[in-house]
Amino acid sequence: MPQTIAEKILARAAGREQVRAGESLPCRPDYMIAYDFPGYTDVMFRQMREDFGITTLAEPERYLVFIDHMLTRGDQREHDVHQVTRDWCDYYGIRLHEAEGIGHQVMAELGYAAPGRFLIHFDGHISGAGAFNALGWGVRRDLLEGWVNGELYLDIPATTRFELVGEFRPGVDSRDLVHEIIARLGADGCAHQVMEFGGPGARAMKIDHRQSLCGMAMFTGAVSAVFEPDDTILERASAAAGGAFAPVYPDPDAAYAAVHTIDLSELRPRVVLPGSARAANTRHADELDGTEITKAFIGSCASGRIEDIRAAASVLDGRKVAPGVVLNVVPTSKAVHDQAEAEGLLDILRDAGADIAESSCDFCFGYQKPLQPDDVSISTGVLNISGRMGSTRAGIYMGSAYTVAASAVAGRISPATEVGQR
Amino acid sequence: MSSYPPPPDVIEGRVAWVFGDDFDIDLVIGVENIKTYDADELRAVTMKAYDDTFVDRVRPGDVIVGGRNFGYGHPHYPPMVALRNLGIAAVLAESFSPGFWRGETYNGMPLLTVPGISTAVGVGDPVRVEWRTATVRIGPDGDRTLTGQPPSDRVQRIISAGGSFNLILAEHAQGAAS
Repeated sequence: MPQTIAEKILARAAGREQVRAGESLPCRPDYMIAYDFPGYTDVMFRQMREDFGITTLAEPERYLVFIDHMLTRGDQREHDVHQVTRDWCDYYGIRLHEAEGIGHQVMAELGYAAPGRFLIHFDGHISGAGAFNALGWGVRRDLLEGWVNGELYLDIPATTRFELVGEFRPGVDSRDLVHEIIARLGADGCAHQVMEFGGPGARAMKIDHRQSLCGMAMFTGAVSAVFEPDDTILERASAAAGGAFAPVYPDPDAAYAAVHTIDLSELRPRVVLPGSARAANTRHADELDGTEITKAFIGSCASGRIEDIRAAASVLDGRKVAPGVVLNVVPTSKAVHDQAEAEGLLDILRDAGADIAESSCDFCFGYQKPLQPDDVSISTGVLNISGRMGSTRAGIYMGSAYTVAASAVAGRISPATEVGQR
Repeated sequence: MSSYPPPPDVIEGRVAWVFGDDFDIDLVIGVENIKTYDADELRAVTMKAYDDTFVDRVRPGDVIVGGRNFGYGHPHYPPMVALRNLGIAAVLAESFSPGFWRGETYNGMPLLTVPGISTAVGVGDPVRVEWRTATVRIGPDGDRTLTGQPPSDRVQRIISAGGSFNLILAEHAQGAAS
């Protein structure tokens, strides 16, 4: 029976020759990942030890923990939260990556997200691993089932195929594509499914933009997203020190729930209104021209990679952030930060008046420099629900790094296609 | 986290509220309150934006009804804790957002996908819900019936156990004993 990428990866994880959508099967992830956060990791570790009586792990190398939240206040609470995590990881012999950047990016840099792999996390943005032909599935508290049993029951998802053709026009990227998909198909257009991307437009897309697209999959209702292997993916996988990998291709006549063709060259910049990313909140950026802003943010697990910083620099080069606007830029990882510094991009951003912060998740969830009640922000963060980045009275618009940078210059929401790039 | 006993095979109550499409569950208590699990604090804010009388009129066994993609957004756990504290026993919707579905299934809440439900019922309608078969009998005599997608065997076991944690703990104990 012909299969999709997700079916093949999950068939291997389930120890089967093949699986079909709708089956409920125990699946064995290659990596079971968490970031430390009070109420999640501390609770799960305590449950493993105290409720399940687990004192040693059969395969500790399959567990990964990142410290990427709550890094920027330097207070006692932060110290205590992270020390609990360090102690548990030490107790169980689990690899811990601390303050190297946002885990969903660091796992790619370190080669954990390699072609054909199956990864779970309690956080849904693990789906960004799909950029590397890995399947990342956010399972919320079912992560405990994986940690305890080494496998967990999953319903095998159907797949929607996206044939991408053309290339993004200047000032447009995959953040515009994901919101275009939601605008066309609805916020449940891929509900309980995997999004599979292929075609010449997919092959032409930069890896950072693929990570951004796959990392936002949940807002279409999808449980994950994955790209077909290509030269870009295989070169990256070979260069990363992540061990052996086995790329997974879809069969030519695999069964898809739907197939959509999208011409990337037709896309225009999209902006999402405060509230959520649902279709009714999705606009073209030029429809919002005139919406004044006070804050702008480039960063998060979905955006803030080198391509996003290059995009911002292309808009901000020789310009200044508008009076009354604060632009915060958070490179997604330390490696991204160092590359951006080496390329001179951060100097361009600083000269324009941007503030550059250490790599972490802290802006995106309102922990670092939270928005004030009167703030109106445009953001490349992953979420724009009320209260997400600070005050519940602040408004959060979402757009690409191009659009955020152009809006910061204009002082109001503006597509980069109008502001222009150097 | 609170723990709740598993539901009876037939849940009998009334429709406590009907929500629209893409409903963000955090709005049940308001985004200002999504970090509290305190029962009194939750009760004081539950559904206040929709119906001031909600917390006083809901009885154990009542259900809430949703449209398409129920639970969309970035669902937190306290809103469903607030509803379960009042006795809400199931959610019936046209469809569920996957993140919400997974998180609340873990907590042992029956979430039943029942096409047509959001237009077939109104607030106050009596319902009898046979959750294992996703059969909903509507009205005082139960003379109108809608049938949705029955939960998988695994999900039925999770709900019967009062949540995933209880189920995997029982399975783990069984494995250790055998």
